[in-house]
Amino acid sequence: MKDGAAQPSSCTMPPRRSLFCKYFATLFVAAVVPLILGAAVEASFGYRDQRRQISAVLQADARAASDRIEAFTDGMRDQLGWMVQLPWSAGDDAQHKIDALRLLQQVPAIASVSLLDETGTERVFVSRLLLNRTGRGIDMSADPAVLGARGNKVWYGPVQYQQDSEPYMRIAVAGSLPAAGVAIAEVNLKLIWDVIAAIRIGETGYAIVVDDSGHLIAHPDISRVLRGRASSGSFGRIKHLVGAASGAAVITGERGNPVVALSVQAADVGWTVIAMQPTAEAFASIRAALWRSSILIAFGVLVALALAYWRAHRMSGPIKQLEEGVERIRTGQFEHRIKIFSGDELQQLALRFNEMASELAISQQKSARIERLKQFLPSQVAELVEHSHELLEGQRREVAVIFGDLRGFTAFSTRNEPDVIMAVMREYYEAVGAVTTRHEATLIGFDGDGVMLLVNAPIACEQPATQAVRLAIDLQMTVQALAGKWCDAGHGIGFGVGVAMGPATVGTVGYNGRLDYTAMGAVVNLASRLCNLAKDAQILADPTIAGRVRDSVPMASLGQRTIKGYDQALEVFAVAPADLPSKLPGLAQRRREKEAQDH
Amino acid sequence: MKRREFIFLIGGGLAWPAIARAQGGAKLHRIFWVSTESEPDPFLDGFRDGMRALGYVEGKTVTFETHYAPGNPQALRKIVSELQRGDVDLVVSSGPATRGMTAITDIPVLFALSGDPVALGVVKSLAHPGTNFTGSTFLSLELAGKRVELLKDIYPKLRKLAVFSNTDHPGEPLEWRATLESCRNLGIEAAYVPFCGAREIENGLMAAGKVDADALLVFPDAVTLVHRAKIAELAIAHRLPSMFGWSEYCDAGGLLSYGANQRTTYFRLATYADRILRGEYPSDLPVMRPEKFELAINMKTARLLGIKLDVSSILFRASKVIS
Repeated sequence: MKDGAAQPSSCTMPPRRSLFCKYFATLFVAAVVPLILGAAVEASFGYRDQRRQISAVLQADARAASDRIEAFTDGMRDQLGWMVQLPWSAGDDAQHKIDALRLLQQVPAIASVSLLDETGTERVFVSRLLLNRTGRGIDMSADPAVLGARGNKVWYGPVQYQQDSEPYMRIAVAGSLPAAGVAIAEVNLKLIWDVIAAIRIGETGYAIVVDDSGHLIAHPDISRVLRGRASSGSFGRIKHLVGAASGAAVITGERGNPVVALSVQAADVGWTVIAMQPTAEAFASIRAALWRSSILIAFGVLVALALAYWRAHRMSGPIKQLEEGVERIRTGQFEHRIKIFSGDELQQLALRFNEMASELAISQQKSARIERLKQFLPSQVAELVEHSHELLEGQRREVAVIFGDLRGFTAFSTRNEPDVIMAVMREYYEAVGAVTTRHEATLIGFDGDGVMLLVNAPIACEQPATQAVRLAIDLQMTVQALAGKWCDAGHGIGFGVGVAMGPATVGTVGYNGRLDYTAMGAVVNLASRLCNLAKDAQILADPTIAGRVRDSVPMASLGQRTIKGYDQALEVFAVAPADLPSKLPGLAQRRREKEAQDH
Repeated sequence: MKRREFIFLIGGGLAWPAIARAQGGAKLHRIFWVSTESEPDPFLDGFRDGMRALGYVEGKTVTFETHYAPGNPQALRKIVSELQRGDVDLVVSSGPATRGMTAITDIPVLFALSGDPVALGVVKSLAHPGTNFTGSTFLSLELAGKRVELLKDIYPKLRKLAVFSNTDHPGEPLEWRATLESCRNLGIEAAYVPFCGAREIENGLMAAGKVDADALLVFPDAVTLVHRAKIAELAIAHRLPSMFGWSEYCDAGGLLSYGANQRTTYFRLATYADRILRGEYPSDLPVMRPEKFELAINMKTARLLGIKLDVSSILFRASKVIS
């Protein structure tokens, strides 16, 4: 039951949809997958290139900044070198002071200069803010600046935040002659802001400078530097993260946003320049490319959708048409034609289908004609008329002819009303027709109460004689059964059968569309005569039949009989009573009645 | 963006974070300008220039309400109550006026001070003001001694120095004390010529002319700045080498000036005003200090006074030479 219910839906609807879906999905995937793959590959390569390029840009900018910072400190060192070229001699403090003042003029970042003699005693001090001093002053020989400069010619002090705000550094330079003493400059590092502020990486990228311990020295927003030592902790973290990476690293920037950063060391002073650019900007071009790709993909997807839909529709549409066509043909609409003009195999298929439909129509017409022919011709003949003409050509062959004839019909027909006669005749004809069909014999025709049957023509059979006899027995029994019924109704009707076998000419004869299939020859006459000779419930056969069926059906010879139209007497055989069931209903009674009528 | 970048370049870079942020919008910002000077006020002009350079349009995005109490910061205390109105975005106090503003706790106050804001108690430290105050110092007090020294460098024969000072200027006693100490160190006798406000400047000038001094030192403040031409004229008339605080005095005929460029200072103050108006807190903005000091010389005046500059060590140190 479940199967029966599921069958129609699973057989008809889903396959159509799934074919459409399959084509649609396949075409769609075929168009979209390469598009997406292409974009993904493009994006990944683009990202790598972009990353490399950003690295290069950051490297260049950080390097430039570090170079300029080195130039700044080198310049400072060189300028201080001038201060310690000549050895100290008595009374030239004034000249040294002028030199120092000129140095201040020359280098804006220097806030003050101390010039010490070889003993480490301050001889000249000039400042932008404080009062200048000349002459022997304080002893600074134990100052780390003096010690550092004496040991190493040049000494860079640690970054210190004046009033915990402004970054300062001391630089000390010792002369090549110990007698030239040492020059110590206090440098305001706010001035390297110019170096850093000038660096712009892209739109919003920038560079910062931190010292060895991660404290901020320079930043484009100088107020961050001025916040002093305490608040520069986050820069230590950035320095550490960037320093740990080789090349550019993506880290969380000072404002909590992700940045791409790269650091470069400024050798002399041990500072680190960190160049950074917000990732949002650094990868903007990649993002733009991704956007472009996405739009292209979206467009491609739409086109692919439309194309795939169209293609799949073009594919499934004709198939649906074909299916409908088949359905129509099934319901007998043979005039239905499928119109497909796709110019491909489907059109070819439609063409073939249409041919098939027209042939089906012809064949249907043919079978309709056969049906009509069957009304007038024996069904085998009717088939043959349609299918093979040569079989129906007049030909000579051995046939078995069976005649049957009702006994006492004349008396019955004169005594009864026509409709009663008609009812009896109908029963009789139906019974004969049924037996004929059962034994595949050919019903040549009814002639009133007589009937003529043919065996082995037009359709050949293996043992025509035996078949003819069996047919005769069957026929006799069937009609006798009817005769019993008729007898009960008061009609004394009997039935006799004659069977003969011999060569005859068989074929169709007729005129103007009315065709009859018949046999001509002596055997037909003989069978007819034998029928006439036969008594009620008797089957008479000629010697040919008797000879042929002797082994299977017992025959009783009735002796030589003279038969009308034959010069010599002919031996006549009767199918043995043992083979004819003797207890045919009402036979004895009919015989008595008959005998009474005959006498 | 173009305009912003331009401002970035000329605005001293203090506007840096503004680049990353969106424009402040078309909101009208109200700025209270309080000063112990008197009108006309050259400092307000400097600040206005700075705001204009940052893209503010007066009357459209910013308005100034000016309050002057010449020489009396305490008189400004009453305006504090006016601030309770609540529609003031920022107070800018020029010079000693800051002393009268200490009671303000809920409105950002920008100052431009000669003295030390930590000593004044308005900020906790220069690096982290930690209050609603921040601003800039001129380091004027630190430079007071340096000016005497420079005057002596250009005129080594200096023995007696007339110090022309507006006592109306609240920081004046400290400045006078620093000057006096410097004079002592350099072996110079200081002749104090005080006057009180613009009304007394004529009398003060007459008094200065009567002091038999070798040179004239004028404390920088708005009154002397406004009357700088007159003062310079007097100095030349009495053949006195003169020393001032800002280069504007030299432009008007003064011989020498040494100090931070006040226009730059007020210009920078405008960048802080911008950042505060954009939502930054004064407590996070470190107090600015000038790192460049201008030494200006007026050669014409020097010639008139017969000073041979080429023999002194001054000329090569000048950052601005007016001829």
